[in-house]
Amino acid sequence: MTYVDKPSVPNVVKFDEPMETKRDKLEVMLNTGGDIYQGACKKRGSTLKDEYRHASGTAYMDPRDMAKLGVKNWDTALVKTDWGEVVVFVAHSRDAPHEGQIFICKGPWANVIVSPETYCCCDPTYKGIDATIERTDKDPLLMADLMAEVYMKYDNDAEKSTNRLTDKRINVGKTK
Amino acid sequence: MAYEEPITDYDHIVENCTCAFCGCNCDDLTYLVKDGHVVGVRHACRLGASKVMEDMDQRLMVPMIRDDNGKLVEVDWDSALDKAAELIAGAVRPVFYGWSETSIETMKYGLELGELVGAVLDNQATICHGPSLQAVQNAGYPVMTLGEVKNRADMVVYTGNNAMNSHPRHLGRYSTFPRGYFRKRGRFDRTVVTMDPRYTDTAKMSDIWVGFEQNGDYEFYNAMRAVLRGKKLKKDIISGIPKEDIEELVESMKNVEFGALFFGLGLTHTLSKQRNIDIAISLIQDLNKFAKWNLIPMRGHFNVNGFNIFMAYEMGFPYGVDFSRGYPRYMNGETNTIDLLTREEPDVFMVIAADPGAHFPGGANRHLANIPVIQIDIHWGPSTELADIVLPGSFIGVEAAGTSYRMDGVPIYMKKAIDKPETCRDDEWIVNELLKRVQKIKGVDAKMASK
Repeated sequence: MTYVDKPSVPNVVKFDEPMETKRDKLEVMLNTGGDIYQGACKKRGSTLKDEYRHASGTAYMDPRDMAKLGVKNWDTALVKTDWGEVVVFVAHSRDAPHEGQIFICKGPWANVIVSPETYCCCDPTYKGIDATIERTDKDPLLMADLMAEVYMKYDNDAEKSTNRLTDKRINVGKTK
Repeated sequence: MAYEEPITDYDHIVENCTCAFCGCNCDDLTYLVKDGHVVGVRHACRLGASKVMEDMDQRLMVPMIRDDNGKLVEVDWDSALDKAAELIAGAVRPVFYGWSETSIETMKYGLELGELVGAVLDNQATICHGPSLQAVQNAGYPVMTLGEVKNRADMVVYTGNNAMNSHPRHLGRYSTFPRGYFRKRGRFDRTVVTMDPRYTDTAKMSDIWVGFEQNGDYEFYNAMRAVLRGKKLKKDIISGIPKEDIEELVESMKNVEFGALFFGLGLTHTLSKQRNIDIAISLIQDLNKFAKWNLIPMRGHFNVNGFNIFMAYEMGFPYGVDFSRGYPRYMNGETNTIDLLTREEPDVFMVIAADPGAHFPGGANRHLANIPVIQIDIHWGPSTELADIVLPGSFIGVEAAGTSYRMDGVPIYMKKAIDKPETCRDDEWIVNELLKRVQKIKGVDAKMASK
């Protein structure tokens, strides 16, 4: 069979090699979905713990993209889309290479930046969203802090921070 | 992975339990119980074992109501249930979302409650396999059971899903590795094909990986159908796959004895949504001119299929059923939870055995910050952070018995293995209790149970 060759997954990530093309910000395609570590952590119920932040609040990137951005495993990055922005960890993807794509496991972190647009098909667009990713010094928040900061249900005076939803909305008022 | 010592410190064993994680519903689990807790699980995958051996630190033990300062405070069952019933009875457009991790018996009371107050009943299919159900309505459902796959399939295709991560025992127990009646040699008698833009863990262990482009599903399946019907492809590369490879793949798919296609959220979450599934189902129909082919959607929760089957049987529609006009109505893009929330319509939201905080887009979740949210669940999760009333339920398949439907539509009775914490209640009891209280508020007589 002459199918597209299965790529080998590099075990060692070289960060310094393509430094000449280092950039502060990358334009990427964002995909979200499940992962066995995220699933195990979520369903066990350990969502308040640091473990969940690492399992779910991590952008898995192609090593070359990470080198371009000048980040290494478990550095932090700010991911922005039309719908919001959120600080997450970055880590080397097991499914690499997929240059120009990042994968964030489903969870409160990914929710801030995915598109709620269903195109009248009931299912939000969780995959294939245009996003930008840049370095940041801030740490990803733990789940409870993130929920409080993003949705501000019980804190009306809270300041809008780096983890927030944009004002972009869909459909509101059309049927009222 | 590091070697772990086998667990020898347990009081007794409970055999033949059913796993309450994914749509595989593996019913061969053995629980090792000590002091009323499951300390070990045999035969389960990493996901199932982690769920059964739950994190008791975050277990919801007592009912809670949010006070004026925004803190959840413990209350007794009566006041929590009364408050919840009051909210539900007074709501104009309530939404009852969830149900996929609870039993069919609970849904029965939920349906009655929904009908009474004119609610929208929806389940997790709305954010996962909803488009698949629409496609089934469009194009048909050439379905089989997992037992047939085990005994007959000589080609297994995974498309748009990563079974090794989401349904870890699917390959080992049903599709690829087990030795079946006509597949005596197990894995060696089968060809595994993975079609996925990502080189996933499933792709790594399959014989053929077709890595078409992101959002290229529709074009790719159409090209396969064209080849299948004897047409010549005009483009050299379609969705990133060379024409010759597509022809070769179609040829090998035609020449199997029994093919099984499993599709997942990779198809339903991309832009073409239900059209991807339409075309996949049509491909299966076309393939049946040459060989026996069937498909199964890879359902995520252990009873997400159950809600769809239950609702379709009771009300005629699988999910997103709206009772606000007094009769069941179903309209995609209108009566689905995400669309309702982005339009900011609901005024009371009840979450039962689900976690919108973890799985809904922020654009939908932000409306949950405006309205009262009632949560029936077993763990303190992201939704608890948005909830105003928390009712601690019990764990179906471990602490409570119940019926669930496997991904292929086979009903499985999940037995009870241990006792629930004393202060928790069964989901069935909670929803029934809410129903009784709402009936009382509305002045409606409880229906006499039919024979």
